[in-house]
Amino acid sequence: MSIQAVNVTKKFGNFTALESVTLEIPSGELVALLGPSGSGKTTLLRIIAGLEFADSGTVQFDGKDITSRTARERQVGFVFQHYALFRHMTVFENIAFGLRVRPRSARPAEAKIRAKVHQLLKLIQLENLAQRYPSQLSGGQRQRVALARALAVEPSVLLLDEPFGALDAKVRQELRRWLRQLHDEIHITSVFVTHDQEEALELANRVVVMNEGAIEQIGSADDVYNRPATPFVYNFLGNVNLFHGRIDQGKAYIHRQETGHVVYVRPHLLDIDRVPNGGDHFGARIKHINAAGPLVKVEAVTEWGALVHVEMSQERFRYLQLLKNEAVFVSPKDVQVFQAPNGAAFKARGGAS
Amino acid sequence: MAETITLDAKTAAAWVGTGTRATTESTAVRWLLIGITALFLGLFLFLPLAVVFATAFQKGLATYFASFNDHDALAAIRLTLLAAGIAVPLNLVFGVSAAWVSAKFEFVGKSLLITLIDLPFSVSPVVSGLIYVLIFGLQGLLGPWLAKHDIKIIFAVPGIVLATIFVTFPFIARELIPLIQAQGNEEEEAALTLGASGWQTFFRVTLPNVKWGLMYGVILCNARAMGEFGAVSVVSGHIRGLTNTMPLHIEILYNEYQFVAAFAVASLLALLALVTLVLKSAVEWKSKQQAAEDEENWSTA
Repeated sequence: MSIQAVNVTKKFGNFTALESVTLEIPSGELVALLGPSGSGKTTLLRIIAGLEFADSGTVQFDGKDITSRTARERQVGFVFQHYALFRHMTVFENIAFGLRVRPRSARPAEAKIRAKVHQLLKLIQLENLAQRYPSQLSGGQRQRVALARALAVEPSVLLLDEPFGALDAKVRQELRRWLRQLHDEIHITSVFVTHDQEEALELANRVVVMNEGAIEQIGSADDVYNRPATPFVYNFLGNVNLFHGRIDQGKAYIHRQETGHVVYVRPHLLDIDRVPNGGDHFGARIKHINAAGPLVKVEAVTEWGALVHVEMSQERFRYLQLLKNEAVFVSPKDVQVFQAPNGAAFKARGGAS
Repeated sequence: MAETITLDAKTAAAWVGTGTRATTESTAVRWLLIGITALFLGLFLFLPLAVVFATAFQKGLATYFASFNDHDALAAIRLTLLAAGIAVPLNLVFGVSAAWVSAKFEFVGKSLLITLIDLPFSVSPVVSGLIYVLIFGLQGLLGPWLAKHDIKIIFAVPGIVLATIFVTFPFIARELIPLIQAQGNEEEEAALTLGASGWQTFFRVTLPNVKWGLMYGVILCNARAMGEFGAVSVVSGHIRGLTNTMPLHIEILYNEYQFVAAFAVASLLALLALVTLVLKSAVEWKSKQQAAEDEENWSTA
C-alpha cells in the first residue's frame, strides 16, 4: 500500500514539529526517515500511524483519505523503540494479541491463531522461547518479538520508530540485515525512523532527510550522499570540510574573507601532495595523523589557519610517507557549493585559493 | 584472607550491601537501638493487641462467642460489611478512573484534581462527617427537600456509606496514580495499533499491569472502611441495631462496662488488621517483584 502525507503540519504548543510536509511513499518500498532529534521524523511516523493527529494536512493510504481514522482503524504495524511488549504476557500471547482482540466475527479459530503465531515464531527464530516473558529476553529478541507481533495482524504498512536505537552495535547490525531480508521476502511498505545515517543508507530503498520539521531531500542512498540537495544534507551525511568562497564563471574560489558562498568538500575528495600537482590547490601543514582503520585520517591547518580533514587510502599514505608538521599541498577533486547561508546548490569543478 | 578473595561477584555485592566497616555501629549501640525499638513495639503494639484478645477470652470461649450471638452485635457486623462492600467497589471504580485520567491525559486543573483526591487524608474525620450533616441533615442544605420526600440519609445507612466512601476515597487512587504514570503509554499505543478497542486495551493491558498495586490499594481501603470511627460516628446517630457499625458498637459496649463483649468485637477488628497486614506484605512483596522485573526490562534493553 502506498502512503501519502500532504501538507502535514503539527505543533506542540509553541514548538513546530512539522511544517507543511508532503511525502509520497510508493507501495512496497523500504523508506528511512532520517534526521537529528527534534527534526519531526518520529512525529511524522506517528501521524501516519494514527497515534498522533496533524493540525492540518491529510494522510492517504493508496489515495484514500484516512486522516480522521484512529490507529485502530488504520491497521498499521507499529514497532516501538523500546519494544512496548506486554510485560505480563508470554511471547506467544504477545504475538497472538492482535488476533485475539478482533471482534468475534473476524477472529480466527484458536487453532488458526496458534498456527499463525508459530509461523511467526519461526520467522523470528524464537520458536523455543514462546512461553518466556519479555523480561526474560535480550533486547534483540524483544525487538524481534515486537516485529512478529506487528506482523501478526497482516498490516498493510509497517512503521518502525528507531527500531534498533536501544540495541548494542553488533545486535543492531544483525537485526538490520535481518529486517532487510524480511522486507525482500514479504515486500510490505515499510517506513523506519532513524538518526543513524549509516543505518538509513544501508537499509532503505529511499532516504527522506528531515530537519527542523521539514524535508530537506528525498532520494536513494546514492543521491543523498553523493548529490546532497542542501548544506544540511551534506553536513548530516558523512564528514565534510567547509570553506567560504565565491563563484566566478563556474569556478569556486575559496578564501577566508569571502562570504557569498559556502564550499563543501568531503574529506576523501581532497588529495594531498608534496609538490603542487598542476591543478587547483592550497597549502597546508599537517597537524595530526590517524592511521588506524581502512582509511588514514589526516588533519591539517590551511595557509589561512582553518582546519581541514583529509582521508586517503592506506596505500596512498604509505606511498607519500607523510609526517607530522610537514608542509603539503591540498587539492580538491570534487566540491559542492551552496549560496550562503542556504540556497540552491550547484556543482563546481575544482577549487582555488 | 583467602576465603574473602574467592567470593564471587554476587556474594561480594551482598556483602558490601550489608554495610561496610565504616557504617557499622559497635555491638553495644546496635543492641541498644534494637532494644529501644523492641520495647516501643512491645509497649505500643503487641501489648495492646494481647490485651484485646486476653480480655475478650477472659471469661472463656463460651462467653466470647456469646458476645456475637447478640442482635445488636450482628447488626453492627452486617452494617460494617455493607458499608465496606459498597464503599470499596465504588472507590475502586473511582480510583482507577482518576488514576487513568491523571496519568494518561494532560488537562487544565489536573494538579488541582490530584490535590483534591488527598483531601480526605488531611481533613479531620469529624469534619468529614459534619460535611454530610450540613448537606443532608434536617437543618442542612438539602434537608427540607429530603424530609419532604421521606429520604433519610443522616442517622441512617446511606449517611454511613457516604461518610465511609469519603474517608476511604484516596487509598486506591493514590496507590495507582504514580504506578500508571511510571508505566507510560507505549503498551497502550501498541495495543491500539494492533486493533484493540479502548476497553480491551484497558482490561487486557493497563489493568493487568497494575493489578498488584490495585490489590494493595483495595486492601488498605477495605481496612479503613471497616475501621472508620470518627466520620461515621457523626452521621450515624448511634441507633442500636440500625446505624451502629462495629467500631461504634464497641464504643457503646465499652461505655456500658461490658468489657468482654466490647473486646470480643474489638478482637474481630484486630483480626481483620492482622489479616490485612499479612495480605499487604504478600502483595507488597509481589508488586516489588514485578517492579524489579520491569526495572530489568528497561535496564537490559
